[in-house]
Amino acid sequence: MVETLIPARRAAAIDGRSIAARMRAAVAAEAAALADAGWAPRLVSISVGDQAASEIYVRNQARAADAAGVGFEARHYPAGTTLEQLADVLDGLNADPRVNGIIIQRPLPAHIPVKALQRAVHPLKDVEGMHPASIGNIVYNDLALGPCTAVAAVEILKTLPLKIEGLDVTVIGHSEIVGKPIAFLLMGLGATVTVCHHMTRSVAMHSRGADAVFVAVGRAGLVTGEMIKPGAALIDIGINRIETPGGARTVGDADFDSCAEVAGWITPVPGGVGPVTVAVLLKNATLATRLQMAQTRDSFATPES
Amino acid sequence: MSAKIIDGKAFSAEVRARVGEQVARLKAAHGITPGLAVVLVGEDPASQVYVRNKGKQTVEAGMESFEHKLDADTSEAALLDLVARLNADPAVHGILVQLPLPGHMNADAVINAIDPAKDVDGFHISNVGLLATGQKAMVPCTPLGCLMMLRDQHGDLSGMNAVVVGRSNIVGKPMAQLLLRDSCTVTIAHSRTREIETVCRQADILVAAVGRPEMVTGDWIRPGATVIDVGINRVPAPEKGEGKHRLVGDVHFESASQVAGAITPVPGGVGPMTIACLLANTLIACCRANGLPEPEGLTA
Repeated sequence: MVETLIPARRAAAIDGRSIAARMRAAVAAEAAALADAGWAPRLVSISVGDQAASEIYVRNQARAADAAGVGFEARHYPAGTTLEQLADVLDGLNADPRVNGIIIQRPLPAHIPVKALQRAVHPLKDVEGMHPASIGNIVYNDLALGPCTAVAAVEILKTLPLKIEGLDVTVIGHSEIVGKPIAFLLMGLGATVTVCHHMTRSVAMHSRGADAVFVAVGRAGLVTGEMIKPGAALIDIGINRIETPGGARTVGDADFDSCAEVAGWITPVPGGVGPVTVAVLLKNATLATRLQMAQTRDSFATPES
Repeated sequence: MSAKIIDGKAFSAEVRARVGEQVARLKAAHGITPGLAVVLVGEDPASQVYVRNKGKQTVEAGMESFEHKLDADTSEAALLDLVARLNADPAVHGILVQLPLPGHMNADAVINAIDPAKDVDGFHISNVGLLATGQKAMVPCTPLGCLMMLRDQHGDLSGMNAVVVGRSNIVGKPMAQLLLRDSCTVTIAHSRTREIETVCRQADILVAAVGRPEMVTGDWIRPGATVIDVGINRVPAPEKGEGKHRLVGDVHFESASQVAGAITPVPGGVGPMTIACLLANTLIACCRANGLPEPEGLTA
């Protein structure tokens, strides 16, 4: 807490796209190796109802999968599809050995409880890392299939010249799929983590003491420069659409300009955590495929073989 | 200033009495008796004491207690077989496999073989994930007991700064989850934390669960803070005679109680709450298994 980091004149912007490109190259090599073994990884994406809302995500994922040699099939179901029908679809995909990962695009229609659907995905095909068993594994420090956004944010921190063991980290936002998993991942790596949220008395008091700040709330301009310790790393997970005189823009939860004056490193939005998240999804796809390959071999192995 | 001593014995007796009332009501209204199966493998003396106490208190609360004692050289397959039978037994609503297991067994595999709905210890990977994702779960007994004591002290915990010292799977991590769910700002400190005293001094609520005798001293504590001491350590007590021991917590009680607002003693603090919460979890599991409403306020 007292140890100060080297103050930077202006923060270095972290290039999420190039981190993602490096990860995708590793994924491509692994996907090729799996394909040689007869296990070419293949993802199925499920969207329900209004496609416009998730279309851009699906398109990004499809393009990135294609570039990494991971199969990708986008399926759309009408808004009136019931939970039972979707559960049947998932049963079929869970049982199909040619499907290695299942993505459930959000938003879903109001009558479909998202958690129920996530629970219905087989944990070995849970490439989004949303199944309770996947989250439980994260808590227990088994880092197999983690929730993509949280893993991406932590992967970005790992690229910086900071020792994570003993690092003071503040996580702003305690959502179940981003804030909390980030906290548990970092704790597993030896960081001292403080989790803040809307009931926290003084977020600034905590964030100013931190060597690294993660923000995942969904409110533009929430974190400003005076909330950051000079030289600290700021990982911005927010994605907000705001209206400006120059038209609509996508921004994060941090006020980029004031934070960049103080921080040592900062992720831009867009171009920071977002692209890395897609790369983690593909990495999870190859990981899931390998786990399924091992399980199939175990199940069919004879004691002598 | 001297801290208020939080009497875990008295509070746990209250909780057990409430469980007992609910059990009696279940029997009268529905003819159902909650059942808890405890499995002990080997002859670990501390485990034997725990299991005996659990059995006794289960019966006192009006529940059925099923004890299964297996030899230390029992195979893992035989234990898994027993777990499968207990999973299928409708009279058993809660299953507890006493840890530690002998070295030749994979504890994770055994725990994850328990039906999550009957996992009253809350250690099954699905329950861990359900708790982490804010869904209905079985919550581990020790942190649950701590939370109930904190709620009893403070009522609403929201906005309080909580520091949990220790990041174990069975106490530190679930404790952090529960405090977050009650809207505390939570910091988890551990062996790699720099300047741990400074971190602890920010806490309105300090939970110590590291297993190091009297590590947390009075100067780590913010005046008026509530201190929950989960540690149970046996240390030599030559003043009681040669070879004698006494139990101490992770908190140095004498100095801490000069500064804290409220503090749990060891023994007689968190310890008794753990079994009370086990009984409460068994009752809850029984209600869920029978599609009955869960009693309010007994668990988190």
